[in-house]
Order: sequence, then structure tokens, then C-alpha cells
Amino acid sequence: MTPPADREAIPEPRNPLGIDGVEFIEIATSRPQALGSVLETLGFRPVARHRSREVELYRQGTMNLVVNAQPADVPLAVVPTERPVISAFALRVRDAQVAFRRALELGAWEMPARAQAMELNIPAIHGVGESLIYFVDRYGEFSIYDIDFRAIPTVEAHPPAVAGMHWFGIVQYVGPDRTADWTAFYSQLMGFTPIPDEVRFGIMPSGLLLESPCRKFFLQLIEPEDSARFADMDEHLQRIGIGTPDVPAAVASLEKRGVGFLATDRVKPSERGALTRPLAGGMMFELVKSVREGEAR
Amino acid sequence: MIFRDFGMTTASLAGSLETKLAAVRGAGFSQVMVAAADVVSHPGGTAAGVRAVRESGLEVTGLEALRDFEGLDGALHGYKVDVAKAMLEVCAEIGGRLVLVEASGSAHASGDPASVTRDLCKLAMLAVPLGIRLAYKGQPWSRTARDFRQAADLVLRAGAPNLGVAVDAFDVLAGGVPQEDLDILDPGQTFLVQISDYLWQQVRSVEEEKATAAHFRVFPGEGAHSEALAQFVSRLDTIGYAGNYSFDVYNDDFLQMPPEAVCRRARRAALWLAETVLRRVLPVPNVERLRAARA
Repeated sequence: MTPPADREAIPEPRNPLGIDGVEFIEIATSRPQALGSVLETLGFRPVARHRSREVELYRQGTMNLVVNAQPADVPLAVVPTERPVISAFALRVRDAQVAFRRALELGAWEMPARAQAMELNIPAIHGVGESLIYFVDRYGEFSIYDIDFRAIPTVEAHPPAVAGMHWFGIVQYVGPDRTADWTAFYSQLMGFTPIPDEVRFGIMPSGLLLESPCRKFFLQLIEPEDSARFADMDEHLQRIGIGTPDVPAAVASLEKRGVGFLATDRVKPSERGALTRPLAGGMMFELVKSVREGEAR
Repeated sequence: MIFRDFGMTTASLAGSLETKLAAVRGAGFSQVMVAAADVVSHPGGTAAGVRAVRESGLEVTGLEALRDFEGLDGALHGYKVDVAKAMLEVCAEIGGRLVLVEASGSAHASGDPASVTRDLCKLAMLAVPLGIRLAYKGQPWSRTARDFRQAADLVLRAGAPNLGVAVDAFDVLAGGVPQEDLDILDPGQTFLVQISDYLWQQVRSVEEEKATAAHFRVFPGEGAHSEALAQFVSRLDTIGYAGNYSFDVYNDDFLQMPPEAVCRRARRAALWLAETVLRRVLPVPNVERLRAARA
């Protein structure tokens, strides 16, 4: 029998892995307390500690943030430095093992299990620079944190979000002429799709936006400009985008909590978005107007 | 420098890796194509080989060569993926941004374009996080791509931005491929041009071609096809090729000569191509900017 694809174009399913947003973002640092206090000004609360590793879980609303201070014992994993770096993000998927095997089949690098912040066998692949991309299928009622983490007593396990904040995306700095390579990587391995140039969110419009197949999350690829094109710079995850339905309200309440925002001629808080000053030695967070997770457009 | 985009290859030279690199540098080249064997067989170990390249002051044109990768099944495929990963890692360690992939000559390889493009695509994805591009080169004795035309077709089918074509002038000349066919190349997806001549007027069989390719190549300007080589380079220039040229000159005699002497010949060839053939009169101000403008 002739395979159906020979007669008509049957498109691949848009979301082959069943991606359903981001389960957590991980930041590595050798100064977890300094970072922790910054995260608290942003409204995150420490809710659990890892049972055996120097890893803490911060949370607000639907956002889980893992702070990893465990010195990595395997090459290629991020060694925590004083300057915090975004070391991983975890995609919620229908079946983590299926997603993982499919990614390997298509050319992802498998990361050794010990390099991961979690002890539960969460499969991970090599992302940009030294970062990882995890696949998580236990979320909702029974979560990965129930196994790996011990709740911090007396702390509210589900602190509410400041100003309805939720994960919006991650900005990735790429090398000169590398946008196409990374676009192919995220679209072939995970089903992300580039969105048209005229659709823009926030106040930092450079680069190319890739939308997750579940439409709940964005990756923004930014190449160096002008003379920076000729400077040596590692590719890395640069900053975290946080969505909020009301940017000015979020800015006001975060400023009250001690978060500073950039206010220059080119970049300043507006209805559309705002960018924090570098925090805890270099982490930046960007606020972006977005009604609710998955409802930015 | 007038021939910034021309580089030597370590595989064409005798001596230790350090000696080869010093000879290349001494002849005025700014880049070198590194044979993976030269790095990993360094007497001080791979790390010492990597250090030698990093400290040479030369840019790395690329690492050569991943062979017999595509078209395999099951355990053979898994084995080759491990080989490819090791090569990609060595390439990244020496500061290289390109791996030369030679079309499979394995009798076990399937020539089915669908499986070949799937494997090439997978290889391209493996190379993305390391920032490496792949230059895929046809070979007359390959089951998957016999020349740059077939290689270009597979590259197009695979559709991975970091997968491009490598063209070897020797294969074009010896294989009797019409030079007009170079016009099918997309200059943006042509990542490397290897260039050499040979001494015979004609090669009569694939076997003879294979032997000539491995043992009897000479530098451009020294062989029997100077005019054709000049046309080849001019044609690539005309279609807008702005990548690097690598002297891929495998010759048993050169492996018995001091590498400095061989590099002097390479320099003479580079000057001939740059000044006489391409009529460059001024140093290329900044090849990177030029590439960006053409892209």
C-alpha cells in the first residue's frame, strides 16, 4: 500500500510531545542565600528543600523556581558560580520517557542522570551552553517535588503570585547567525514555532520569538548586534520573562518590595513591560503584559 | 592579508602537530584545517593536542573528517552516533566551528534518500548546541552522494541550517563534472571548498581516482589543470561563495618533505589564486563583515 504521505501532505501533529508549559526553571549559584533573598523580593517563597542536595524550591502562584547550589560532579553540567545563571528549564510533557527518547532519536544529547538537580529519574537533554532541558510528566496532583523535596515546615506551600505573575518565557542569547540553527533545534526536537516579526510582547523587541506548541511559553533568540558580533561570547539563557496582566501594578508592588527597574530613554517600565536591574550579581527578570498563562495573544 | 580565507590542512604535512601548526603559521596562513587524528594521537594525549591547536594562533577552518555516518541501521547507527559526538566535542574543544562529513563509502549504508537525510538532520541537531556547522562532501565511491550535486540535493532535503555542502575541486576535475553545475550551489549553504590539483591529465576509473585522491594530489598551480582550477575558483567567486578554501593536498612525497617546504608551496598556491585568479589587489578588509553583507 502506498504510504499516505505519498499522496497528500499530512502534517505532523503540532504538539507531538504533549508539551504543556514549564514545570520549573532552575538557577545555579554558589550563593543561594543571596539569590534567595532577591527571589523573595520578587515574590517567590522558599517552600521545600531537596532531601540530599543543596537545592531549594521557590514558588509563587504557578511558578516553580529551583535554586541549585550543588557543585556539579559531572562535566558539561553547570558548576554553580557566584553569578547566578539559568541552568535549566523543565517542560511538562505527556510522557517524559517518550519525549526524551524521541528527542534523542532526532539528535539531542543525553545528559548523565547524576548531573541533574533531581534524584528522581527526570530525563534531560543538552540545551544551550551548559544548560539542560528536562522533561517532566508528573505535575498536578502528584508532583516531582513530593519525592525529591521535603517541605519547609510552617511555610505556605502555595504562596499566591504577586500581581498575577506567571512564567512567560526565557530569553536566550545566541551567536552571530545562529538564530536559524536554534530555531531548527527547538522546532524539530520540541515543536516550537517562530511567530511573525510583527507580533511582539514587552519592551525588549529584538530577536526571534519561538512559541511552544502548547502556546503557554516563549523562547526569544537574540543575536549580538553590531560590533558585538565579533566579540567572543558564550551562548546562554540570559533572562526569565514573567507575564502579568497589569505591568504597572506589578512594577509598583515589586518596587515596594525593593526590586529596582531599569529606567533609561530606551528601556523603561510601561504598560507593555519592564526590565529589572541586574539582581544578585547579574540575573535579570523581564515583566511582560500577558493576561494569563497561555493567553498572551 | 590577501589570502585570509585560504588555509592549509594538517593531514597534508609531516611531523608533530606542533611542527605542522608552526609551519602553517610560518608560511603566513591564518587558518588551518585540522585532522582529528592529529589531535587525538598527540603523544601528550588529546588535551595536549587541543592545547597545541589553541595556542597556535591559527583559526580552525574545521575538523576532518567524519566518515560513513549516514544510512546505517540499529547498532551500527548507534555506534556512529557515538563517533560523531566524540568528533563534535573535539571540534568544539579546539575552537572549531565546522566538521567535514564525507559521504558514506560503507557497503552497509543504505542509499535511500529518506534515511540518509534523516541521519544528516540528526547529525545537524547534535551539532547545534556546540555551535558547529557540518560540511557534507560527496565522494565518487560513496553510496549516498557521489559528488557535490547529490550532496547539495541531500542537504536541501535535510533542511537543517547548520548543514551545508563541501566541494572538493579534485572531485570536480577528476570526476569530469561540468563546471556550470557549480551554479546550482547555494552560496549560503556551501560551507567549505577544498582545493587541489593532480599531475595526470585524466583518471580512467573510480579506483584510479581513489588512489590519486589519496596519494598524488598537488597544490593549485602545480598540476595539470591550472586553467580548470582557475575557472573553478572564479566560478565560485561569481556565484557569491564567501567561505573558506582549504588546501586538501594528499601526496606521499609531501609527507617525506619538511612541512615548512610544503607550506611554502601552499603559500605560492594561495598567492596565485588570490592575486592572479581572483585578482585581489587589496587585503580583504574584514571577511566576517563581508560575509554578513552577502548573507
